[in-house]
Amino acid sequence: MKTGRTQAPPQAARFRRRLLAATMLLLCALTAAAFLVVRRGIARGEAQALEREFAAVLDRLQAVRQMRRAALVERARALAGKARIHAAIEDGALDLLYPSALDELRDAVAPPRIADPAAAAGALRARFYRFLDRDGSVIPPPGGEAAAGALPPELEARLALPGVSQHVQTGYIAGARSGAGVSEVFATPILSTETGEPIAALVLGFEPPRLVSERSGLVAGIRVGDTLVIPGLDPAATAQLLALLPDDDARSGGAAAGARRFETGLDGASWLVFTQPLNPGSLYPPAHEVCLFPLAAMQARQRRAGLQIVGAGAGLLALGFLGSHRLAARFSRPVATLELESHEQRVQRRRAEAELEATSAELERAARFSADASHQLKTPVTVLRAGLEEILARGAVPTHEAEEIAALIHQTYRLSSVIEDLLLLSRVDAGHLRVAADEVDLALLIASSLDDLDASPDELGLEVTADVPPALRISGERRYVALILQNLLENARKYNLPGGRIRIAASEAAGRVHLTVGNTALRPIPPESQPHIFERFHRAAMGENIPGYGIGLNLARELARLHGGDLRLLRSDADWTEFEVSFRSYPATRPHP
Amino acid sequence: MIPRLHFLGAMVAAFCVSGSVAAAEPAVIEGRVTLPAGREAPVLNQRYEIVSKGGVVAPNPPVAVVFLAGDFPAAEAQPVARMLQKDLAFEPRILPVRVGTKVEFPNLDPTYHNVFSYSKPKRFDLGRYRADEEPVPYQIFDTPGLVTLRCDIHEHMRAVILVLETPHFVVTDTDGRFQLTGIAPGAYTLKAWISSASTLERAVELADGARLEVNLE
Repeated sequence: MKTGRTQAPPQAARFRRRLLAATMLLLCALTAAAFLVVRRGIARGEAQALEREFAAVLDRLQAVRQMRRAALVERARALAGKARIHAAIEDGALDLLYPSALDELRDAVAPPRIADPAAAAGALRARFYRFLDRDGSVIPPPGGEAAAGALPPELEARLALPGVSQHVQTGYIAGARSGAGVSEVFATPILSTETGEPIAALVLGFEPPRLVSERSGLVAGIRVGDTLVIPGLDPAATAQLLALLPDDDARSGGAAAGARRFETGLDGASWLVFTQPLNPGSLYPPAHEVCLFPLAAMQARQRRAGLQIVGAGAGLLALGFLGSHRLAARFSRPVATLELESHEQRVQRRRAEAELEATSAELERAARFSADASHQLKTPVTVLRAGLEEILARGAVPTHEAEEIAALIHQTYRLSSVIEDLLLLSRVDAGHLRVAADEVDLALLIASSLDDLDASPDELGLEVTADVPPALRISGERRYVALILQNLLENARKYNLPGGRIRIAASEAAGRVHLTVGNTALRPIPPESQPHIFERFHRAAMGENIPGYGIGLNLARELARLHGGDLRLLRSDADWTEFEVSFRSYPATRPHP
Repeated sequence: MIPRLHFLGAMVAAFCVSGSVAAAEPAVIEGRVTLPAGREAPVLNQRYEIVSKGGVVAPNPPVAVVFLAGDFPAAEAQPVARMLQKDLAFEPRILPVRVGTKVEFPNLDPTYHNVFSYSKPKRFDLGRYRADEEPVPYQIFDTPGLVTLRCDIHEHMRAVILVLETPHFVVTDTDGRFQLTGIAPGAYTLKAWISSASTLERAVELADGARLEVNLE
């Protein structure tokens, strides 16, 4: 076995290789599929998480912006309702407008002496304020510009509106110089106390809120026209981003574009850019909020997850390789064994076939010899008997010689009988004997056999009893059934005691007919001989004075078996020996009579 | 009750002053000023308000100030009028005065008021004061024209003082009816101030003791 495994038969090795390849292929496919599914799942999960985080941060920023705007607008409204401002506008005292406003807006405007804008940005204090007249034109502050907040003339001009509106107008103005910053302005209408009509507007300019989410890294900036201000983004990246943004101002009509989002690379990092209109419907030029959401963290997470999956996949593959190797080995072992065994079996079978052929030829030869010998013997015996009978018939021999000749003639009959039996046996052995399946009346046959038995020269004084139901029919050929019966009865007579008994019984049950022939015996068949009594030429340790050649029982059994029945020894003890022969019942075995 | 009495008292005093100027038998002008339609907005109280619309100041529901323009001798004594702050409103909403009139602004509310005006004929700011302010804050109006009064604290409070160069003036009722009495005979121009943008006028000739019926439209 050891040697068989080390050099596995070629077919087993091939099987093993194929099995290994198939398993690996399957494993690779499974791993790849799992990899894809997991990676897609992770990517989707990440995208959803990002979406949620982004939305949450954006919502927070929006809330801050809204609250700030609401607070500022409310404040501006309160200012716009002040009686002195109304008086200055309505009572034709524009010269008193800014001085009056100075008093009213004292706490709303960053004191000019605070130079650091960051300090002022924290408070909701305006950088500057201006009034617009009924037509939306800027009412210039009379000389005291410092009080109303310094503003370059070109920016001041941008505060003008085509006309004052009932509603607060939100605008974002940027200086022509880049880096000048953007101011968030609220143009709050000053409404007539009596009629509710706008009679002027108060424009408050604020530093836009610095919206930065420290945790997520989101920064929000403002884009108006060609100016983009994003806190913490260097000018080059700002210019790069500005070029990527949709050009809304190019469209005349100024219909503000809706919210947009896209991913882009800036400064060597990936960002999710979100832009949405800040002042839709405003009379001021459209401005957009531009949010930058860093994707670096998410990408790092995704990369890490990807590496983990790849690692897991590789591990899985390695394990799978090992497993499939083992599996292939395990499965190919029985195949190798099988192959070896089948090889051995083939050899054995071939040998057995050869032997069988030889045996069969031998048997054939023996059977033919037996048949030939029987034929060859029959003729001289017949010639011998005829000669002896002729001598006896001439009457020219003395009486005692005549008795001897009669005994010789008797011997020739026995010889022919044996030859007949041998001839029959040789035909059985050669498989040439075909038994007909005729209807045989067993009861009748037994009766005639008993007649023959009575007629035989007998000085034993045997008592013969028969218990046979009438019309007991079996399937078979009459002469062979008679031969079986004759053999059994002959035996029962031969081995009997003087004055002994012979008992014949027959019965039918379940499609079979059982016939027993029992007799008192001179000596029982010794137990060690019982298995061999049906063998050819076996004569047990019977008295040598009893004639016979050990053919009868063998022939009877062969014939019984040819009839689909059997012959066996039921018992053989001190006072009784009994054989049983079985036949098929006639009607039961003939489906079509 | 008391402020109304004050007001009536002031009016009576003004009329008495103007009436005493005439030497001859005084004449009377009465009639009706055709007033513009009032605003559709329902007026909860029947008192009119001063409305400034499109830069035009007008009372609503519309009333007119009818006055007589001409040459009148200077007043013998400085006329005095009162503009009350009562129930978070000025009372009256429209007060015609002769040039040089001293107008007092008593605060009858239990809260602060701050009367001021940015109007060109008279800019002033009385500051915040309460009812117990002594003496009662006042201003002398010596430039003819329209002065809009406001309260710094109560943005809705509004009143106008019409400073006129005549002792003869009266505020019509809401139907536009008026009566000017105690006028010396002579030639005048009868004017009706309807809003800061609209004044009706007509020349009148008054005989001694005449009773003239004039409708301005």
